[in-house]
Amino acid sequence: MTFDWTVVTSNAHLLWQGFLITLYYTVTTIVAGLLIGLVIGLIQLSPFRPLVWLGRLYVEFFRNIPLLVIVLWTYYALPIFLGVNITKGWAGFLALSFYVGSFYAEILRAGVQSIDPGQTDASTALGMSYGQRMRRIILPQAFRRMVPPLAGQSIIQMKNTTLLSMITVPDLLYQGSYISSFTYRPMEIYTAIGLIFVVVLVPLTLLSRKLEKAGMVTK
Amino acid sequence: MHMQDAKEVLKLRDICLRFGKAEVLRGVDLSVKQGEVVVIIGGSGSGKTSLLRCINLLNVPSSGSIVIDGETLFDLDRSGADKAGLKPAQVNRIRAQTGMVFQQFNLFPHMTALQNVMEAPVTVKRQNRQEVEKRARDLLAQMGLDQHVDKRPAQLSGGQQQRVAIARALAMDPKVMLFDEPTSALDPELVGEVLKAMVALARSGMTMMVVTHELGFALEIADRVIFIDQGLIAADGPPEQVLLHPEHPRLKQFVGRFHETADLLRPFLEGKTAAATH
Repeated sequence: MTFDWTVVTSNAHLLWQGFLITLYYTVTTIVAGLLIGLVIGLIQLSPFRPLVWLGRLYVEFFRNIPLLVIVLWTYYALPIFLGVNITKGWAGFLALSFYVGSFYAEILRAGVQSIDPGQTDASTALGMSYGQRMRRIILPQAFRRMVPPLAGQSIIQMKNTTLLSMITVPDLLYQGSYISSFTYRPMEIYTAIGLIFVVVLVPLTLLSRKLEKAGMVTK
Repeated sequence: MHMQDAKEVLKLRDICLRFGKAEVLRGVDLSVKQGEVVVIIGGSGSGKTSLLRCINLLNVPSSGSIVIDGETLFDLDRSGADKAGLKPAQVNRIRAQTGMVFQQFNLFPHMTALQNVMEAPVTVKRQNRQEVEKRARDLLAQMGLDQHVDKRPAQLSGGQQQRVAIARALAMDPKVMLFDEPTSALDPELVGEVLKAMVALARSGMTMMVVTHELGFALEIADRVIFIDQGLIAADGPPEQVLLHPEHPRLKQFVGRFHETADLLRPFLEGKTAAATH
């Protein structure tokens, strides 16, 4: 068979719209996820056992349920339980943010725990409080180590936004299936979508490698 | 020296420390006077480092009391009743009156030498940044590090890092300095520069507690040497008495090993002086 790329070029405006939606959900859910991850991560590092368990429960819940199930459940089941209407946009945003937040929380926890206990000893001996130790000594060092895994998880997050098409959020993949439905050329369309992801994500991967190296120099 | 009438800077009473089932310290009483240099020796696992870490509550004793310059940092009797009842903020404030130097230096790797020294006075004491910087530069110069203020720990040798660590502790104007095997992680040729800085500090009148295996340093500078054995103080006296005329059998054994190495070196040293006199 031969590829007919005109179906892609003539529907470029639809793909562009989808791309913007994909980008929008990638950025907003990463930002929300980072906030959730910070809170849940710190909760897991607190000296209070019940808080630690709460954090653990959150992480294990969202990390071990398939994202597609979370997305569908948030859109179809959550409104029934809560007795409220949520739009597909909100459902998708919440599901993706809570999901990625659990991974970010684990990255934060592991990053902080990888810091030499001598750093805590030294800052404690200087009279620093828990908050001062975290803010001034532990987190700045941990963040440097966390850059590569955070970048990796964020790249996965962008690809995970394609699951939004299952609840008819008009992202890149949804637009792709829509274009396929009237052009009958899915091969060209999905190849093009794959290429779009590669073109966006490969430079980001290279950037994270660079940041990783920069982080090592300062150590 | 005028130790008799000097005031007590540090007073430990009946300090016990347990890690799970293991009893690390079994009731240590100790008081240290202003300007006194106390060297703590003992075999590995004797509890000497744990004792030092109890003084600033890096290890929290299971019972006992700690008084630093008249302020009670910790007071828990053996029944477990907390008689001090301090809030974490109070503990941090009193704790800041001790300075600690660690075996592994534990400098903050993301900061320069100068920033390391400035960190606690600015963050904890909220002192004026300009004044803190001036004092930090003075302290680093005092440690012979004027050339290295803007370097990060990774760019410094072990001996230089340890001297930055001493300056960092001094920046908080501690009442007592705690040294936890400060030269044990150093290459042999770097030990001297750190010991020299510590001797100068001792001569300047700083109250110091030093856990070390450098018995020569103890003989040179200590007012008192304490031998810890199985979680208890087994000997406590002037260095000549404890190190050169030990009575406690295990102390004899411990110091004996040191004398053996010295004896092994003696022929070489005497040969050298003999050669020099010819």
